[in-house]
This record gives sequence, C-alpha cells and structure tokens, in this order.
Amino acid sequence: MSVNHTSSKQMIKPQARNRIRPKDKYTLFLMALPFLALAFVFSYLPLYGWIYAFYDYRPGIPLSKSEFMGFDWFTSMVSNEVQRQEVMRVLRNTFAISTLNILTSVLPVVFAVFLAELRSAKFKKLVQTLTTLPNFISWVLVYSFAFMLFSVNNGFINHFLMDLGWISEPLNVLASDDHTWLSMTLWSVWKGLGWGAIMYIAAIMSIDQEIYEAARVDGAGRFRLMWHVTIPGIMPTFFVLLLLSIGNFINNGMEQFYVFQNAMNMHNIEVLDLYVYNIGMTNSNFGFATAVSLLKSLVSLFLLFVANSMSKVIRGESIF
Amino acid sequence: MKKRLGSSALLILICAIMIFTAACSSSNNGGNTNGSGSEADSGNGAGGEREEITIDVFSMLANYAGEQPGWFAKLVKDKFNIKLNIIASNLAGGQQKIATMMASGDMGDLVVFGSNGKDYQDAIKAGLLLDWTKDDLLNKHGQGLLENAPEAIEANKKQFGGGTAVYGIGFDVGTGEGPSEGATMTYGPNLRWDLYQKLGSPEIKTLNDYLPVLKQMKELEPKSESGRPTYGISLWSDWDGNYMTLAKVVAQFYGYNEGDGLNPAGLILTHQNKDEWQGVLDEDGHYLEGLKFYYDANQMGLLDPDSLTQKFSDVSSKFQDGQILFSHFPWVDNVYNTPERTAQGKGLALVPFSEEKITSYGQSPYGGNRVWAIGAKAKDPARIMEFVNWLYTPEGVMESNYGPKGLAWDIDENGKPFVTEFGWKALPANAEPVPAEYGGGTFKDGTNQINNTTLKLTNIHPETGEPYDYNIWNSTLTHNPDPVTKSWREAMGVMTAKEYFVKNEMIEVSKPFFTTETPATPSAQMQQMTTGIGKIIKEYSWKMIYAKNEAEYDQLKEEMISKAKGLGYDEVVQYEVELAEKTVFPNR
Repeated sequence: MSVNHTSSKQMIKPQARNRIRPKDKYTLFLMALPFLALAFVFSYLPLYGWIYAFYDYRPGIPLSKSEFMGFDWFTSMVSNEVQRQEVMRVLRNTFAISTLNILTSVLPVVFAVFLAELRSAKFKKLVQTLTTLPNFISWVLVYSFAFMLFSVNNGFINHFLMDLGWISEPLNVLASDDHTWLSMTLWSVWKGLGWGAIMYIAAIMSIDQEIYEAARVDGAGRFRLMWHVTIPGIMPTFFVLLLLSIGNFINNGMEQFYVFQNAMNMHNIEVLDLYVYNIGMTNSNFGFATAVSLLKSLVSLFLLFVANSMSKVIRGESIF
Repeated sequence: MKKRLGSSALLILICAIMIFTAACSSSNNGGNTNGSGSEADSGNGAGGEREEITIDVFSMLANYAGEQPGWFAKLVKDKFNIKLNIIASNLAGGQQKIATMMASGDMGDLVVFGSNGKDYQDAIKAGLLLDWTKDDLLNKHGQGLLENAPEAIEANKKQFGGGTAVYGIGFDVGTGEGPSEGATMTYGPNLRWDLYQKLGSPEIKTLNDYLPVLKQMKELEPKSESGRPTYGISLWSDWDGNYMTLAKVVAQFYGYNEGDGLNPAGLILTHQNKDEWQGVLDEDGHYLEGLKFYYDANQMGLLDPDSLTQKFSDVSSKFQDGQILFSHFPWVDNVYNTPERTAQGKGLALVPFSEEKITSYGQSPYGGNRVWAIGAKAKDPARIMEFVNWLYTPEGVMESNYGPKGLAWDIDENGKPFVTEFGWKALPANAEPVPAEYGGGTFKDGTNQINNTTLKLTNIHPETGEPYDYNIWNSTLTHNPDPVTKSWREAMGVMTAKEYFVKNEMIEVSKPFFTTETPATPSAQMQQMTTGIGKIIKEYSWKMIYAKNEAEYDQLKEEMISKAKGLGYDEVVQYEVELAEKTVFPNR
C-alpha cells in the first residue's frame, strides 16, 4: 500500500545483508502453511462448485447422474427479446444503486472527520455508539421497523404528519416506486454510516499529533487542519476501500432489496443478486444461480484489475 | 528459538488438519451409528419395555421445531416409547433447508413431504426413502394402513414405486362421495354477520354486489374496537406464488382450482369436475375477474392500503381487532370470533353470493399429495412404521387430533362421541392448561406439531358411526350455539356452511381419480420460465389493483399480457394443458 519505489529501496538493503538461510525458509513456510491451507480450502476449493453451472443439479442426486446442460444456463439469460430487456433492467438497477453507494461512500469520511473534532469525549462516544448500532440490526428487522414507521394504517410518520395537519391523506412510502434507488441508498447509508466511519476514525487516530501542532503553529484554523492534515491522512484508506467497492460493483447483496421488494417497486429495486434469488433459488435451480455467480466473479475480478491499474496510473498507488 | 517457532508452527498445522478432517469425517460417523442402530430391532416385538428412542421428524408442513411437547408427546411416549424431534423447514430455510437435507443424504427418520412433486420424487431417485415392502415391514407393522387405506398404499406403489415398492402414503385418505370438508368449507366469503344483519341482509347475486354492501358496513362501523379505521377487504402478498394468490381465490368461488390436481400448479386453473381449464391471463377468466374486483374495491375506498406491504400475520392481527369486514377463508375468522364477541352477537359468518359454485375437495381413497415417508437411514424403521400405522387407525386419528380419550372428548353410554367441558375450552387449539397426568403444558402447545393428516376427518368412525371431526358430531351441533351461529342458522335454514352449499347446489366437488402416472416434474428450464412469467404477473397484478383509473388499469393489463407472452406464457400453458389432458381428464 505504501508508495512502491521508496519501500523497494529500503527492502533491498536488509535482504542483501541478511539472506534467509535455507533452514529458516522451511520454518517460515511451515508458519505460513496453515494460512495457505485455509485460503486454499475456503477460497480455491469452492471454485470446484462452478461445475454445477453446467448441470441440472438436484440435491441428493449425484452429479454423475444429473443432466449435462452445457452453456444453457448462461444463454438462458438472453434467450429472447423480453428476457434481454429483463436482464438490462436488472443490470441498470444494479449499476444505479452501486453508483449511488460509491458516491455516498464519502459520507462516512465526512462523518468521521467531524466526529474527530468533537470536544466532549462522552458525547463523541454516544454519537458513535448510536450510529454504529444500526449495522447490527438485520435487514428483516429494519423492514419491520420501516413498516411501523411508514405503514398507512398505523404508521408513526403518517400519524404524526396528519396530526400536524401537513398532509390530509396518509402517504404510502413503502408501496411506491418514487425514488426507489435513492431511498434504498438512504436506508443503507443510515445502516452503515457509523460502521463505515470506524476505519476512518482509526486512521485519524494514527495521524501524528505533531503535524497538527506544526500546522497550528503555522496559524491553521480548525477547518484548515481538517482540510490539510486530516483529509490527506485518511485518503489512502479511502482509496483502498473505494477500489474494493469498485470491485464489488456488481454485487450489491440481496437482503436489503429482498425485504423491501414489492410489486410496486419491483421494477427498480430488483438488482442482480435479488433477480437470481427470485428466479433461481426459489426453484432450487442451483445450476442457473451458479452460472450467474460465475459470471459475476469474472466481472468483479475484471473491474478490480481495471480500478487497480487506474489507481496506479492516476495516484501512483495500488493495492497489489 | 527457531526450534520452538518450528514446533509451534507444526502444532498449528496439526490443529488445522485435525479440524478439517474432523469436519469431513463427521458424516461418515453419522452413517455408522445409523447402521448399528438397527440392532435395536431384535429387542422389539415383545412390546412393553422397549428402549426409548428419539426420532427426527422432518416435516415440510410443521410450524414448530424442536421436541414435541405436551399431551401428544405423552401419548406417543406411553404408546411407543418414542420421542419426536421435529425439524421444520417452514421455520428455517424453506426450500433451501429441504435441499440441504437432501444433499446431506439423510432426511431424518420420519419424513413428511408437502407435495408428491419434485422433492418427493427426487428423494426416491436419490435413495433417501425407505421401501416399506423391504423386510416385509408393511405387512408386519402396517396392518392398520393396509386395512384403512389400502387404495392409498396401492396408488403410491403404482405411481412412485414402479408397481413393487412403497415409499410413502398420501394424506387425507377418504371414502364415499360428496364434499370432504367438515362444518365449514375452505373458502368463504364471510362477512361481519352482525353488520350485514343490521343492513337488512341485502341480496348478493354477483361477486361485485359485495362492494356496495361492504361500503355500507364500513359506514356503519368506521372504526374498530381500538379506534383504527375499518377496511372492507385486506389482502396480503406473502402467499403469492406464480400469481397473486388472493386473486386466484376468486376462481375458487367458481369451482375452479389451481393446477389440475395431479401435476404441479403453474399458470392454469382447471374445473373441479368438468374437463375445462383457463389460463390465469384469459381475458374472461376468473383470475382477471379477481383483479378487477379488488381494483373496484380500491376505487371505492374499501381496500386496505397496506395490502401490498403487509404480511399475513399483520392481517391476522387486523382481523383480531375487527378492522376487516370481509374474509376469503372461514378459518381466518377464529381470531375475531372469540366467545366474548360472539356472545355480544358480533362475528364473521358465511354470506355466499347466489352465483357462487364453491370449490370443494372430494373424498379420495388414494390420498392427497402430502406424503408420509420413512427415511432410508431411519434408526428403527419397524417402530416408526408402527407409529405411522397407528396414525392411520381410528384410535390414532381421534387421539392425535383431539387428545387422549377422556380429556377433551369422550364416548357416552350410547357409544356416541361428545366434547367434554374441558374440550369446549381447549378445542381446537386453545391455550388451556392441561392436567399433568395428560402431559401438562397448554392444549395448544401439546397439539400434534407434525401438521399432516392421515385419514380424512369427515370419514365415519367405524365404532361411533359419527365422523371423526368433532365439529359435526350430533352432540356438538346441538350444543348451545352462540348468538351469531344461532342467528346465522335461522337465516340460512341450515346447520352448517357445507350443508348450505350442498342443499343449494352451489358446490363443485372434485372426483377422485386414479392414474399410474406420476405427477410431472417440469424441466428446470420450464420451471425457470414459469417463475419468470410469474414474477411479471405478480408485479402487474398488484399494480393493476392500485391503478388510478380504468385507463391505467387496462394499460397495465395489456403490458402484463404482452410481457408474459414474450417470456413464453403460451408455451407454459400449452405444456400444462397437455399434461392435464393426458393424465388427469381421462382418468376422472
């Protein structure tokens, strides 16, 4: 992560002076082995499961007795005009929500920076706890919470606004297709803001206090300090997380969209993961689900490489 | 130092290897213990002092997981020295749980399938189910089955066992003719009887006639008991499959039913006893009629605006509070029709429309599509067989449904059954405390949690000469009816809902049919296509109900039909109709 050419210079010297002896090599290898084994077992071995993308697999019946499908599952997604439109719609939703998520990923940064400026430690702790808490609530509970707030019959918000006389007819927020992408993004921001800020708070903590003092001596005010010291201090963290989220562009999960989906917002809420669930998993169609996830892995890998090399070119930094 | 490092690395490695190998071999261990479990068989036969065993009951219908509690547990323990550990896919994982159980190669000891379709047939193919003819199990331990449900065993053998093996038995095995329902039918519609009476019982000829009546009822009672607004109709979407379930219910008011009664239901509705079918998207079909009905209801301000976003449990609590004036199914009324309310004359009761031809399920000696089966790796198949056998005997039917004799029910000196004082408080499943000698706990918790039936409850008990179902015992019908029931009986001139439909010939009963064909298992592509179309139908159906005006409604309808056709609707319908014409229509 650190800037490449300087670190490589530093690395050369000790290596030349202190060559690893053959005996140490085995010790080091043995020490790394459990982790290599873990990576192999949990990251590479499961790739064998990709074979299911080419079969009509039914649980309980061994693969050797299952029907071989070739590339049928891959082509079924684009088999006719209406089907193609469906896939395009799903991809549009996926990209839109991912883009919004990436745009809003600066919010935790801003939040962390301002949180760090709070003087009262007690208040800071309180705010941090309250904003981190939603991350631990499952989406199912978030939905029932949303239903309590927004239901037409007995929703808190509708009661409140009607009591105030601001609206005459109850709003039906959950069963509407207005700004679905935006509202989904807001829900996930609400849920993830505090949690996302933790990393940045840690990064801010590790900024050398002397830099702040030096800046203060130079006459920097509070906002100057934030702009010239804090922000540059957490930029590397931000970019690493940004690269990873670009790599995850096509996976935006399904729980959130699964619980919030209904006929009204289906058109705009159905992202790729949810589509696969709705079409494949509800039928136990593991072949189709595997085929899509195989494609997704390839796309993610490609995106990560692209983002990484862009970062190398633009910022001279990269994650690998 | 280096040595120590090396040895600690080795230690970690060994630990890791042990963890992996332990994880891998656990399934083999399971297999071994199952194998040795069969030794316990030898000690059986004698009855009485048998070793206690706990069997895993994997029920796709159960809504309770864990050890069976209460009076049913005590019954089974006393009779068979068996404890039931219930695994419920409904509660955790659903279809995925079923897939996991099947992939693991062990489906438990007693298996209850929700349908005889793909899962059941795949389980047989994969060798996960026990053949009951093996070791002569069925003849040795299943005499009750052979006596009380011989045709069901035979049907299962021909349909699924290639004519030789028996892998299970269907539920609801019945004899005789006519509707198989008890006092009430499966469908309604039911209205708030007290309000309907207050309006002078206006005549309801067609489905749409309900709407003005509901409007007047809503005006009579704009607020529920807790001060919330009342709604004519409230819907829920969590039961939707390939279409909106509650719009399909409208077809069931007209003698149609989903699917064809044998093959998995997809996109067609077939008539209960005529060889007629309609696709769900047929212009003049009952499904679209249902959508229009709800659309009109919404236009008149009668539809609960939360219908789309709420779940059945939300609707149930709205019923409980008295917010809803119309019910599709009589069995959702229970939460409102409490003794306190019915004593005040308030309650939901059947108000049919004159055009109605209610869908009724006839008696079938071949059994229905929910299957009892025994797992291939069952610990002690003979004792499980005995248990299933008991469930299919008159004694087992009575006791597994209503508890041990003498608790909630008893037989009088003339040999006729009657509900005891305790029974009136406890039945069908109330939280009434049960005396410790009968197993303790509440009656509700102690009910048979496997949640599958055996013999049809409307069959006649050979010893009492009355049906098994306590709701239609003579002693029950004459027992002190509440004001709502009383006034309903007086107005309708009959004792029960079933009697009304039969008397007025407003009923379409399905005929039992026998076929050696197994229910079709559509190819994965066909299924995927059906689901894709179903998604479109569901989405547009709900949008149509909430459409702002007629023009938007029609436009959405056109879009739905053209999109569904683009995804292969006609192909799916044709496939299903061909199946029905080949396997169902000629056999009934």
